[in-house]
Amino acid sequence: MIVVTWIRGLILRRPGRTATTALGVAVAVALLASLGSFLAHSKATMTRRSIENVPVDWQVESAPGVSAAQLLDTVSHHKSVRAALPVSFAKTSGLTATTGGSQQTTGAGFVLGIPDGYRSTFPSMIRTLTGPQSGVMIAQQTAANLHVAPGDTVTIGRTGLSPVQVKIGSVVDLVSADELFQVVGAPPGATAAAPPDNVILLPTAQWHTLFDPLAQARADLVKTQIHTRIDHSLPSDPSAAYSNVLGQANNLEVALAGSGRVGSNIAATLASARSDALYAQVLFVFLGVPGAVLAGLLTATVASVGRDRGRREHAVLRTRGATVPQLVRLAMSETALVTVVGSAVGLGVASVIGSTVFGSAQFGATTGSAVMWGAASVLGGLVIAAAAIALPAWIDARGMTVSASRRRQDRVGQPRWAKYGLDIIVFALGAFTFWLTSRGGYKLVLAPEGVPSISVNYWAFFGPALMWIGGGMIAWRIAEFTARRGRGLLCITTRPLAGTLAPTVAASMIRQRRLLARGVALVALTATFAASTAIFNATYKQQALVDALLTNGADVTVVQPQAATVGPEFASLIRSVHGVRSVEPVQHRYAYVGADLQDLYGINPATIVNATKLQDAYFQGGSARLIMQKLAQHPDNLVVSAETVRDFQLHPGDLINLRLQDAATKQYKTIPFHYVAIGAEFPTAPRDSFLLANRDYIAQQTHSNAVGTFLIDTAGTSQAAIAGTLRKQVAGDVLVTDLTHSRKVIASSLTAVDLAGLTKVELGFALALTAAATGLVLWLGFMERRRTFAIAHALGARPRQLGAFVWSEAGFVVALGLAIGTVGGTLMSQGLVKILKGVFDPPPSYLAVPWSYLGLATLVGLSAVVIASLVAVREARRPQLSVLREI
Amino acid sequence: MMSQNLIECKGVSRTFGRGRSAVVAVHDAACSVAAGDQIALVGPSGSGKSTLLHILAGLDQPTSGTIAWPAFGRASLRPGPVGVVFQAPSLLPALNVLENVALPLVLIGSRNDDANAAALNALETLGLRGIANKLPDELSGGQAQRVSIARVLAGRPQLLLADEPTGQLDHETARLVVDALLATAEFSNAALIISTHDIEVAQRCATQWQVADGRLHANFQELTS
Repeated sequence: MIVVTWIRGLILRRPGRTATTALGVAVAVALLASLGSFLAHSKATMTRRSIENVPVDWQVESAPGVSAAQLLDTVSHHKSVRAALPVSFAKTSGLTATTGGSQQTTGAGFVLGIPDGYRSTFPSMIRTLTGPQSGVMIAQQTAANLHVAPGDTVTIGRTGLSPVQVKIGSVVDLVSADELFQVVGAPPGATAAAPPDNVILLPTAQWHTLFDPLAQARADLVKTQIHTRIDHSLPSDPSAAYSNVLGQANNLEVALAGSGRVGSNIAATLASARSDALYAQVLFVFLGVPGAVLAGLLTATVASVGRDRGRREHAVLRTRGATVPQLVRLAMSETALVTVVGSAVGLGVASVIGSTVFGSAQFGATTGSAVMWGAASVLGGLVIAAAAIALPAWIDARGMTVSASRRRQDRVGQPRWAKYGLDIIVFALGAFTFWLTSRGGYKLVLAPEGVPSISVNYWAFFGPALMWIGGGMIAWRIAEFTARRGRGLLCITTRPLAGTLAPTVAASMIRQRRLLARGVALVALTATFAASTAIFNATYKQQALVDALLTNGADVTVVQPQAATVGPEFASLIRSVHGVRSVEPVQHRYAYVGADLQDLYGINPATIVNATKLQDAYFQGGSARLIMQKLAQHPDNLVVSAETVRDFQLHPGDLINLRLQDAATKQYKTIPFHYVAIGAEFPTAPRDSFLLANRDYIAQQTHSNAVGTFLIDTAGTSQAAIAGTLRKQVAGDVLVTDLTHSRKVIASSLTAVDLAGLTKVELGFALALTAAATGLVLWLGFMERRRTFAIAHALGARPRQLGAFVWSEAGFVVALGLAIGTVGGTLMSQGLVKILKGVFDPPPSYLAVPWSYLGLATLVGLSAVVIASLVAVREARRPQLSVLREI
Repeated sequence: MMSQNLIECKGVSRTFGRGRSAVVAVHDAACSVAAGDQIALVGPSGSGKSTLLHILAGLDQPTSGTIAWPAFGRASLRPGPVGVVFQAPSLLPALNVLENVALPLVLIGSRNDDANAAALNALETLGLRGIANKLPDELSGGQAQRVSIARVLAGRPQLLLADEPTGQLDHETARLVVDALLATAEFSNAALIISTHDIEVAQRCATQWQVADGRLHANFQELTS
């Protein structure tokens, strides 16, 4: 009965404080549940997005001696398979072509037999560059090596048999050559073999005519793969989907009974996606947990504001005979009330956020996970409410005498943790842990080779978490010290507001220093959270753009077919398109480094940055600007990949003789270069190895200024529209891509995780927490001291004098809190980016600071303070005689 | 020549709330207070003593009737010629005893040194100098109430009003507090009005006014003559 009376009293007599405490719980619950929505949404989209780009789900390779028909029959009848087509492979001893009066011969290669319907079933395997969609196809690099075009004849060498001739129908780009020529059944961790340079694709019937004799003579040179498309009805969680497809592949291998091995491209893609899913979890931990903790701290602060009053009320009850268990029951009933109301509001808000931002009001991908996330969020709210209300009440009820309960609690002494320097210890421990875990490079997601399960290295969070907690405690210490030892400073700074009352105001602040220090710590932690979240999100966005820019090359990219001889003058046509700001021609050639064929890019180092951004991380041994200056110093300077430097044991200044094709003679000739720097990445270049040289030097040495790629800067706007316009103006075999499209296509790296929704939610909550930490906490503090203000008013204090107390405290809390928070936010952002360095490829050269958001957050915080202070001053001016008679 | 009255109150009523839920706390009160008067406002709890005292102190406004402080002219009542002691401890918890006592003087613009000197004098007078640096939380109820009186004394009031100053104190402490009030009134030559339901406290004042159901039974004959 007493519980009901107590609850009714809380609702009727203390509606403001009860509602505010419930609001704190609601914020925490809403934040946790919203993050659940993000995780579910991102996991679900990650599975879908990652598998939709898999060119061939399974490549089932026949064991020696197994007939292709038998293999196809087994695979086709497997329950998971939706489409299956046989692809035949034959090794050729070499290809030869005679064009323009000269004969070109390549090394060994592959001749594939492609069945009818293959290209429509697996559309992302082969892209036609020139010629019809059917007939004999030749890979573009092979065509370049042999100088052949559609209509030319190529002689295919057959080991032990006479060569045969085929007439080229079209030149194609083998888009997924890595998958097509992968070694099926290679042990985990084996180095992937580079795809062959020389490839011809024949219709299946023609292949059998030409290579069945080879299969009889040399079975080891011929093999068959069954390329399959499987059922894509997979669990939305990438980990579950990965296990599922792995199980399906195993099931097929059982059915095959040794007659074939399954190469699962879909499993490989999902393995990467489940890492991304775990990284999403990492983001949740980094970005979400501090927010929830902060909401909890705010709730505890709101609850503790009324703790003195609660103690006095409990003291009255104890003098009337209430027992400790009864008092604890009252506190638990208050906890339950706050949890129920806060959870209901929080889950409601999360549903609205989920449906508007993530397109789903559920907190998880499945009903089970939705219930789990909902329950976990409510549990989080319950823990916060219990820690803020029930636990302190229990401690007080057990340990305090009635007379002690009726007194105000000590607000000047240092807490034990401060006396023992626990804040310094915690921060130092965090810094040490951070140093230990980051010195060898952070590994947040552990994916041991050969082990099917992967996990997040939560230990890596230990350092930053301790630093965050220690930082908040140090903020408390700084504020407490400033108030304790800074009487003179407080007098000086409050004099403009307080006049002759300044020493009294300063004395009041010194005595309230624990309360003020708590406010400062809260504001500092909130500012740190808001700043680090905003900076991390901005940096993430920046790196996502860099990632896409690296893949696409520029805002818009025009790629000429391999055999084209378009010169730099074509740039003037591109420039005439409305919206194009700058065009940079980039030559793309193939050059032999020893026996290794590599991509060579000819650029103008002085103007390349007009069309694309070069990150410092693209190069080793200097900034992008410095490396470009080095490249420009001598015409024959060359930037090479680290792999090439290692493989060929190169030293800066070494002479490197590259073999490039001469446009005049069509023969490869040796051209001298000098190695000056190492390149790790370059727009449009492959990531393993490439070469970078001066465009004019290549043109002069090869007698051709043919441009492979035009990089186009559109000032970051209208990329899709400009690309569309260009597509209409160029020939059909010219490829025009834009950044907007590239960003959608990139699905294998974390930067493809859609953070837009999370960013909105995080930044929104950061703003709400900022307003709460500043305005709400100050306002509640002032309201709790209504009696103080009523006494001052009764003693004759004028409004301006009452305002001096309010504004001085508000100014102290906000100024010091924001100053410490700014430093903390900057440090935390740098730490976050360092920790997540593995996520970014390439890592960021600098932090992106969203000044507009930070300005808005500061404005929100200051506005909340001003509003809270104005309301407090107005309240203080009203005579409240009843307050003076309260216990 | 007769000195001016400190308070002149005529037909004063105070009603809380409106309509059917309205409560008349003070009904048609009339009185006058002169310098040196020592008056006890007696009556049971809820009779309207505190409300009337707050009106007399200028802390509350009457709903009807007139109240004037002729002796004080246009001067601000608080802090200044009117000092008030409340039923519950009314010290600012963030200020120590000395700062609390000096506060009214600081509020009217006194220099801090002067205010502190006056506060120390007041504490000395009431035998409280030894606790000047203590915080309100460290004081007993009686000490806190005597410090409140010292705060009034420091302002050298001409009119001293105390609202149930002994309501939460034991007998011996109550006696000390009343001693302090009387001493302060005599020291300042101020009029003293104490609201109380303690007959012993009331008997120590020269005059007793009774308040019952919001009606004041005082020297109305003298006022109306």
